[in-house]
Amino acid sequence: MKKPWNINRRTLLRGAGASLALPWLEGMISTASASPISAGSGLPKRLCCVMFPFGVAVPSDKDPARQWGWFPTGEGKDYQLTNVLQPLQPLMDDVSIFSGLSHPRCRTMNGHDTGDTFLTANNLEQGTYRNTISLDQYVAKELGEKTRLSSLTLSTDGGVGPRTRTTTLSYSEKGQPIPALESPKLIFQRLFGQDDASKNNRARLENSGSILDLVLDQSKSLKRNLGKADQMKMEEFETSVRDVEQRVDRAQEWLNIPLPEVDASSIALDANPEAPEEYLTAMYDLLFLAYQTDITRISSFQLGSYGPSRARTFPGILGLDPDWHGLAHKAGKKGGAENIGKFDQFMAGHLARFLQRLKDTPEGDSGSNLLDSTLVLYGSSNSKTHQNVNYPLLLAGGKELGLKHNHFLKFDSKTPMSNLFVTMLQAMNIETESFVDSTGPLNGLS
Amino acid sequence: MNSSSIKWLILCLLLANGAPENVAAIDFEKEIEPILQRVCVDCHGPEKQKADIRFDTISPDFLKGGSVDTWHDALNQINLGEMPPAKAKHQLTAGEREVLTEWLNASLNAFATAKRNAGGRVTSRRLTRYEYANTMRDLLGIEYDFSRELPPEPTSPEGFLNNGRTLEMSPTQIETYLAVARQALDIAIVTGAKPEVFSAEASQSATGRLPKKKDGGAIPVNPEFVLDIPDFPRTGEFEIKVAASAKVPDGHGYPKMEVWLGCVPGIIHVPRKLVGEVIVKPLEDQPQTYTFRGRMEDFPQAGKIRFGKNVDFNGVIVMLDFVDAEGKELRYPHKRYASPLPKPKKKGAPVPKLPSPPTKPFPDIEIASVQFVAPSLASWPPPSHLALLNPEHTKLPESERARADLESFIGRAFRRPVSNSEIDPHLQLFAKIRPKSDSYTEAMKETFASVLVSPRFLHLIDTRDDFAIAERLSYLLWSTAPDEKLHALAKQKKLRDPDSLSKETARLMDDDRCSEFINRFADQWFDLDALNRVAVNPEFFPEFDNKLKTAMQTETREVFGEILRGDLSCLELIDSNWTMANRALATHYGLVNRPRSAEFERVALTTEDQRGGILGQGAFLLSNSNGESSHPIKRAVWILDRLLDSPPAPPPPDVPELDPEQADLTGLTLKDQLAAHREKESCRSCHENIDPWGIALENYDATGLFRTVAPIRSGGKKSKVHSPPALDPLTELPDGKKLKGADDLKNFLLNEKRQHFARSLVKRLATYALGRSLDLGDRETIEELTENFESNGFRLRGLIVDLVKSDLFQHSLTRS
Repeated sequence: MKKPWNINRRTLLRGAGASLALPWLEGMISTASASPISAGSGLPKRLCCVMFPFGVAVPSDKDPARQWGWFPTGEGKDYQLTNVLQPLQPLMDDVSIFSGLSHPRCRTMNGHDTGDTFLTANNLEQGTYRNTISLDQYVAKELGEKTRLSSLTLSTDGGVGPRTRTTTLSYSEKGQPIPALESPKLIFQRLFGQDDASKNNRARLENSGSILDLVLDQSKSLKRNLGKADQMKMEEFETSVRDVEQRVDRAQEWLNIPLPEVDASSIALDANPEAPEEYLTAMYDLLFLAYQTDITRISSFQLGSYGPSRARTFPGILGLDPDWHGLAHKAGKKGGAENIGKFDQFMAGHLARFLQRLKDTPEGDSGSNLLDSTLVLYGSSNSKTHQNVNYPLLLAGGKELGLKHNHFLKFDSKTPMSNLFVTMLQAMNIETESFVDSTGPLNGLS
Repeated sequence: MNSSSIKWLILCLLLANGAPENVAAIDFEKEIEPILQRVCVDCHGPEKQKADIRFDTISPDFLKGGSVDTWHDALNQINLGEMPPAKAKHQLTAGEREVLTEWLNASLNAFATAKRNAGGRVTSRRLTRYEYANTMRDLLGIEYDFSRELPPEPTSPEGFLNNGRTLEMSPTQIETYLAVARQALDIAIVTGAKPEVFSAEASQSATGRLPKKKDGGAIPVNPEFVLDIPDFPRTGEFEIKVAASAKVPDGHGYPKMEVWLGCVPGIIHVPRKLVGEVIVKPLEDQPQTYTFRGRMEDFPQAGKIRFGKNVDFNGVIVMLDFVDAEGKELRYPHKRYASPLPKPKKKGAPVPKLPSPPTKPFPDIEIASVQFVAPSLASWPPPSHLALLNPEHTKLPESERARADLESFIGRAFRRPVSNSEIDPHLQLFAKIRPKSDSYTEAMKETFASVLVSPRFLHLIDTRDDFAIAERLSYLLWSTAPDEKLHALAKQKKLRDPDSLSKETARLMDDDRCSEFINRFADQWFDLDALNRVAVNPEFFPEFDNKLKTAMQTETREVFGEILRGDLSCLELIDSNWTMANRALATHYGLVNRPRSAEFERVALTTEDQRGGILGQGAFLLSNSNGESSHPIKRAVWILDRLLDSPPAPPPPDVPELDPEQADLTGLTLKDQLAAHREKESCRSCHENIDPWGIALENYDATGLFRTVAPIRSGGKKSKVHSPPALDPLTELPDGKKLKGADDLKNFLLNEKRQHFARSLVKRLATYALGRSLDLGDRETIEELTENFESNGFRLRGLIVDLVKSDLFQHSLTRS
């Protein structure tokens, strides 16, 4: 297969952790070496957030279908995974499972509206549907500068989608949805294609700075003739342009630093959501690759959507009803828990494979691995479909960041999921007292 | 949503009668505060804060106090006689009422004047997504969806997408503009020789050659005609020509042919996209040729796909689906590509047999041939290229050539004449880029891109001249830039002349492009997008086809369009003896008269139909339901907000939804549940003003069907009660007015609320036309427009002309 992104002078990189010469910028090398690399404190901290829609089966403990419920039985250290999360069993030393958490502010919203708020914790303002910054972007503000891409936003459907049914988990500081990438091929290009592979792209990147300068000047002269309120709108325009200028500058700084060579032949870049097995494998492979090569440290991946989505038919691959939404609705019916449970197990299998790959990749000199300094948040913003409480959630990784795992932590319905966000932020050394409606860090993880 | 959607009515009438101008004449502390203390503070004070309002701490400074909306509401409530409530212990004396309203009026007036002079309005704004898409399309001459990468727009409090204050700019937005501009120019400007034209034609469906493998337990695609094209160009315009004829027995509706382009064969959810559709009417025996166009870039192309044994399919397929007039797919069981077996309903149940071939004649479409051509080029280089890079200019030295090419483009892009001082920076950019670029063309593409991310292109700027009026007018009616004629009139300063402005407005309304106004305004005013936010639960409505949602949206748009184009009274929006429907929608409604095809046409309604007016339209009824049952409260709020412009205050936080599973509510009809809910003191004060408007429409279920029996639900399911009670839509407004059903409600709106409705319409229209929220400074003009609108028989065309001529629309000329 011909790979247009293949560049001869790159040296092949095959996943050996320490030898992954990270493309540090000069300035960053000094920052990094200023702090003593002991106990992995200098290792990059990473975040990955994955959400799926419609919730899971939540049969009661007496229900014969309990084994197809998402949540484990038991509690604390004394828990047993059901069939659903069984694929994670070998990884449980690196995984904590939570029940009871949710975003209390989003409870009054329609059950189908909460995908937008999974990482923002805020109620979408009635009428304007204004959102607020998402967890991943909050982290990207702090850590994003250190890598070629400050963050990576993925979804099975791409773009931003309609309000309340968005197809992205990421929201900017101003609460605007950030378009997601959906095609493995485009994602690969975004990750590894900004090298001098395309002279045209390189020239255009250089031009962008000049174009934005010109636009900025125009806006300034235009502003002089406008009323006060209009002037403020133009200032918003200018701020945005300046922001893009900074992004362009950064992209340019990276231009001369060679991209790591990656072997893409094992990734099915042509896969698309019509073939769910291959597609999910490719998406997680790309996430893994992005972390392994340190192209980015922050990502979000929305697997499916509460609205129209190409992922709706995914359960069909297991011979189930090819309508995920319908499957979720029927979870409480006879045989329903088993049906959606099987699909949730399928998704957990893909997650497990991703986590295992991170774990199998050594990093640093002290026997640590990629997973140890990566936080992987995984879950849904419904428990049963349409219910905005008791989100099925788990957090994996982060041993190097001081997190303790291998337990099933139950919380009451008052505990905001934002408390988990606060704990995650603190683990990543981002000084945070609170996130939206949090009441403190989450107990039990450290 | 704050109730800043202002209720003017009484205020305006009072002001028209000559309101006192001098605020200072009344001393707030001496004359006003004591009244508030005596009459209002019991409920709006330290003890209780009904509606979250306190009159003991509110600032009397309208300009700086930030409470002007509350004061304005207070005035309206006093004037409407709603405050203080009739049962309250303390009532206003006549003298108190006079001094209070006098002070409120004068203060509001002073506020309006101050606001107008402070330039507090956003009058310039950026283009919306759809305006941007249309403008790019028209400017570059390329049919392509330029907006799909742009983030969605937030909605303003009035429900509009084009409000300058809510339209934001973000880095993502700017990045996307630049990326889209470059992409667009790569399409518009071509390099090299004319590409080879690829063509494929077939008179036989390739269905038989496609893999039969089931994927994901789903039924394989079963289009009725497939043309697979193993190799094809990935970019450029394509053309599909289908020669087809139809046989339709008497009494059957006309079938529709859908043309799809996609990439993966054999899987049900092929990424495919509709290229176009056409009603195939039986015209003698001759097949008719139907032509469809698109751009390859707009259609899914997955490249090589692996599934089952088919490893290397790399092509694209043209699929034709045939749909009967009701919207159901036509299947031809007697043909060789038979439809798959229906899925057994339950595991283990016997597989149903294939339906036997119908004995009766039924609609049929015969395909004579399908032809696919790409790229479809009339000439080379294409017109889009020649419009940007004029071959005549090639003789000039490069820098002059750049100026010449840029000059003709930049004026069109900025929608106004452009001075050298504005062109020069772009030329400097060209000069800077050129040495690094491979060619003149590459450098010019980047220079053109700089024009397409300029704030002058992306914004509608209030330049206070004729061009601003031309721009505002064409974006109002066409959602795109002025055409040459309108631009020329602006240049000749003809738009200042009321007669030529009227004529021009009429010309724009008569143009086909005015469908942009009809669709966009109807969508936003009536919130038709809400249809997509409601999921119809198939357990409740197994027969409901989701395509009906689109049909419902089209109905409401078309009715609005019919009223505009036919210059009918806007009161026909409230009640009429006709609607716009296609066969599927008419069948859903069970109308007596049904069109023969999927095309929308005007349908005369009979009394049996129980329809007429927007309150009987599926778009309103379904989008204000929860997909399972009707939702009288949502419907009521919609009427109050969208038709009468007096939305109720939003519910206080933490109000639980009505839970039909709650013990004391099971077994009750929805109407009775609501009545039980109103028993609670905390709910009554708001809901006695809301619920009746929706209860009157209880004869319509969630999907808009008429019913006479009340459903009773418990446990979220339809009850199995054998004799459900007859539905009783009788209800009573707080003032004692009784409404028995939809007809009463419509008559009430027509007879007693027509002025409210007229003013509400005028305000929504003005808000959309101006791209900003209205404020107190606009009220005089709004009143004048409303009066004229009423006296001219509620005709929309006249109103639009009046609005365009009004100082609101023209203010940049009159007030500069």
